[in-house]
Amino acid sequence: MKNVRVWFKKDYECRYISHLDLNRCMLRALHKSKLPIWHTEGFNPHPFATFPLPLSLGFRGLNECMDIRLEDENYSFEEIISKLNECLPRGICVFGVTEPVMKAGKVAYADFTIRLGDEATSSRIVCEQLNKLLSFDKIEIEKHTKKGIKTADIKPGIKSWSLEEKFDFAELNVILAAGSSDNVNPNLIITALEKYFGKAYDADITRNELYDSEMNLFR
Amino acid sequence: MVSKEVEKLLLKVQKPGRYVGGELNEVIKDKKDVDVRFAFCFPDTYEVGMSHLGMKILYSQFNEVPYIWCERVFAPWIDMEEEMRRHNIPLYALESGDPVSDFDFIGFTLQYELSYTNMLNMLKLSNVPIKSCDRRELRQIVAAGGPCACNPEPIADFVDLFFIGEGEEVDLEVIELFRKCREQNKTKEEFLTLCARIEGVYVPSLYDVEYNDDGTISGYTPKNGAPAVIHKRLIKDMNTSYYPDNFVVPLVEIVHDRAVQEIFRGCIRGCRFCQAGFIYRPVREKSPDVINAQCKALCENTGYDEVSLSSLSSSDYSQIVPLLDKLNEWSKDERASISLPSLRVDGFTDDIMNKIKTVRKSGLTFAPEAGNQRMRDVINKNVREDELLQTCATAFEGGWTTVKLYFMIGLPTETLDDVADIANLGQAVVDTYYKCPNKPKGKSVRVTVSASSFVPKPFTPFQWEPQDTIPRLHEKQQHIKESIKTRKIQFNYHDADTSYLEAVFARGDRKLCRAMELACERGFHFDGWNDCFSLDKWLEIFDECGIDPAFYANRRRSFDEVLPWDHIDYGVTKDYLIKECKKAYENTTTPHCRLKCNNCGAARYGEGVCFEKRKSMV
Repeated sequence: MKNVRVWFKKDYECRYISHLDLNRCMLRALHKSKLPIWHTEGFNPHPFATFPLPLSLGFRGLNECMDIRLEDENYSFEEIISKLNECLPRGICVFGVTEPVMKAGKVAYADFTIRLGDEATSSRIVCEQLNKLLSFDKIEIEKHTKKGIKTADIKPGIKSWSLEEKFDFAELNVILAAGSSDNVNPNLIITALEKYFGKAYDADITRNELYDSEMNLFR
Repeated sequence: MVSKEVEKLLLKVQKPGRYVGGELNEVIKDKKDVDVRFAFCFPDTYEVGMSHLGMKILYSQFNEVPYIWCERVFAPWIDMEEEMRRHNIPLYALESGDPVSDFDFIGFTLQYELSYTNMLNMLKLSNVPIKSCDRRELRQIVAAGGPCACNPEPIADFVDLFFIGEGEEVDLEVIELFRKCREQNKTKEEFLTLCARIEGVYVPSLYDVEYNDDGTISGYTPKNGAPAVIHKRLIKDMNTSYYPDNFVVPLVEIVHDRAVQEIFRGCIRGCRFCQAGFIYRPVREKSPDVINAQCKALCENTGYDEVSLSSLSSSDYSQIVPLLDKLNEWSKDERASISLPSLRVDGFTDDIMNKIKTVRKSGLTFAPEAGNQRMRDVINKNVREDELLQTCATAFEGGWTTVKLYFMIGLPTETLDDVADIANLGQAVVDTYYKCPNKPKGKSVRVTVSASSFVPKPFTPFQWEPQDTIPRLHEKQQHIKESIKTRKIQFNYHDADTSYLEAVFARGDRKLCRAMELACERGFHFDGWNDCFSLDKWLEIFDECGIDPAFYANRRRSFDEVLPWDHIDYGVTKDYLIKECKKAYENTTTPHCRLKCNNCGAARYGEGVCFEKRKSMV
């Protein structure tokens, strides 16, 4: 038995499917690939697969990962990559298989590229607004939780950021707290922008990499 | 493939995965390489349409022809429709992202009458004129097929041609004819006239209808050499007929998220309310070897770990046990499970139960359809109460504690006492549970009784029957409710308003077209969904058009009246349907096809159950 981490991109049409749908899609691909995957042993056995950090619907993911367990240790990683890609829709592309270095729970940060703008506003104004927003001491937004609406300050969860003014959009690169304890969804920055400046922009969000608490790349 | 404009909308709507395509096994071609582009439209949501087997078969079959590119189109849900309208984005096909108006064929499958407004709304969203006469060129040919095509009249003004019967052969013949006509620069009229000569094609514009003073039809006159009677098409040999070895595998969860394997067409039973039981005659089976091979290929190509064996009544498959044995040989190693829906009360045997281990203990559903023996004889259901109770006892002993029972109310000759027997039958099932010595320990039983309202359909022995009025249906629903004396029975009933509208459309004539047109102008859609349906708004429209809906829903027709679908032939003779209707009044049943041939007319196709050796003959 051997644990492996499968690395993939989630893009194109597959940006628009939820984590639950991604999970189903992966399980079907694993089943179709006939790879020797370890199955759960419960009432309804299914291939065992876990995702260290789910990706929100609508985001592109460039370095996403999924942990699976192989029953046959002698399988080559290249073979796993090609077999899985044969069984996946074109929006999900496996590009690497590694032995996990860190435990899944070690994920602490994620970095995102957010492109913001609309046809009616110049990217300079969007940049100025973002600049102001991210320089506040506190960025309070209303969070919809299971227990109702809560006010939360997302500022402590924004580790670092940089802004670039492009031709027709503002590009924000930002590192946010991620994981099961503190997590800032980049959509919250857009919500905050709307709250403070009264303007809803189209956003194109890409998750680039995951990191541990010391900002080492998650591997 | 989605355009940049569409992408901007996707994050504003629920479940955007329905609008993007890009699934495993979808067929992408280069439009420069094909001659005919076919937009296969399902007039309901992605989740419903993608579960439909007929679409999967035809999608794959069309795309095997090099010169055809068939793409899928579904009705956008109301939030997406609103966004598309606001941003002026026309309805597009999932594969190419191209607007539906670019296509040569816009084909609809009509599975239920309440999707008619969705069909028109989809044309409107595509900026395609909804009326056939306003589409003058040889492109944007609107075609329709499916069970509702058996009475095409309420939508005759909108559809250029209907496929009558099974589509696998006739659809391709029409597409091929279209290709030739376009090469020869023929007009749309010339194409349609030639089309009408293909067996199984109905071109409504080639028929004039005359009416009597009372609003009934006096006759149909065919023009330009169109046939007086349109005969349905039928696949003779199921073993050699086309079946896909691959399905498009959706990215988002759909209603039936599994592989589906057809095992036979038609039904031997002849329940008198059931349209499918008559229009798909005769029963034609696939051999166990063919089914086994097709199931295996589907599992391998889709990655699904569940295959559902599909038919109108699975336990009537003549070799069901050998088939399950064959499937079990490999399915366990492949970690695939086999499910068997549409089991009859008398088909749930120990043998079958033990062979489908995947029947989850969540619930069992049976359809006795009526509460007492007289009513079941009237509808020719041929299920006895002791069989139902015996089956329930088997299930309870096997550990089940919930049973769902489906019934219909408003059946011909039904009285209030008859519907009270629905409650009594539910009670008998509860009592059976407590009489079971081996029932699950310490658990209570739960019986769900569901009552839908009977809608008389064309090509059934009840096609002349009035539907119960809405107040009468409400009275019957109330009466069942009051007759239930235990809290172990949960009673659900289907909204009578939607059944009423369904009854109007099901047996409607061309006079309804005007109402459909108005409904489309007013933005009606998703009539089959409670979110959108309003009978009051429909009644307003009928009133404006001078249409009395009761004329279609609640009127008893005489056997000699010309019915709106009389020029269409599904193989079962009208004489047979009349005979069956009369037998219903006499509470007399008819044996099923394997016991005795009742001479319904379907034997003329020369295939299927009509030519099986019956046990009584051996």
